[in-house]
Amino acid sequence: MSYRNLSPVELDALREIGNIGLGNAVTSLAQLINRRVNMRVPRSSFLPFEEMIELVGGYEELVGCVSLRVLGDVPGIVLYIFDGESTLRLVDMLLGLPVGTTGELDEMARSAIKEIGNVLTGSFVSAISMMTGLNMITTVPLFAFDMLGAVLTSLMVAAGRVEEQVLVIETELFQEDETLIKGHFFMLTEPGAIERLMAALGL
Amino acid sequence: MGKRILVVDDAAFMRMMIKNIVTKSGYEVVGEAENGKQAVEKYAELKPDIVTMDITMPDMDGIEAVKAIKAIDPQASIVMVSAMGQQAMVMDAIQAGARDFIVKPFQQERLLQAIERVLARSRR
Repeated sequence: MSYRNLSPVELDALREIGNIGLGNAVTSLAQLINRRVNMRVPRSSFLPFEEMIELVGGYEELVGCVSLRVLGDVPGIVLYIFDGESTLRLVDMLLGLPVGTTGELDEMARSAIKEIGNVLTGSFVSAISMMTGLNMITTVPLFAFDMLGAVLTSLMVAAGRVEEQVLVIETELFQEDETLIKGHFFMLTEPGAIERLMAALGL
Repeated sequence: MGKRILVVDDAAFMRMMIKNIVTKSGYEVVGEAENGKQAVEKYAELKPDIVTMDITMPDMDGIEAVKAIKAIDPQASIVMVSAMGQQAMVMDAIQAGARDFIVKPFQQERLLQAIERVLARSRR
């Protein structure tokens, strides 16, 4: 089943679910770093898997990627991918350092990112689960800071079969009017998962 | 009951969901808006008893819209309904003039209670 088969109402619902998930994720992030975090209106779309790579910047783009597997009624994978620069800024934000301080990722920084990613992806999934009443259990998140190609390849090897199209949400998170954190949420689902999601929403 | 509601959210699905919940409880949805700018226009045109307002929307966000609506009508009753539940944003919304703040995803009862309470206090 492809996203092309979803009606406009269903597509709109899927987008809104993504937005709600993202909003909750950002709220949790703000609590984590104890600072206000603003978010521009996220852009949601449905892309074929191959285009995911183009969107983020190509196979060789250096990225920070937090991924979680989702088990239960809506099985699949949720990923949050941010570019290299944004990853470093996220660490600054979490550790309360002036923007631009972190130049590379040591153990502490990696741990910080993993926690942020954990909170972001966890809140995202929780919100969807609460909204739909569906059972969605997440696995321990993985973090990788590497070229996009390498990151995605290892994820795909570990994942089950997924739909050919992916829900993508482009995000820009910022503090005090400066755009700092650019990222993309991706939700890859196994066949049948989206139908269950729509049914749970009464569509 | 029979009170008139304006529903503001950029997602059609969410507007539909809110509309279903409030209509079942006897409210009348007199209009919908998908961004802050439309919200202000519709408010002026329809003068609803209460507004449900999202925050993250294009063409003027919900908090700006609350300010603009309060400028037209200081007595306006507005309940925020948003996925962004940060303390700072809740405070901004209340300071702008909103009477309550509901975080998505929400339980139906929570939404209805908030609407009832705000209407009860507004002496309309």
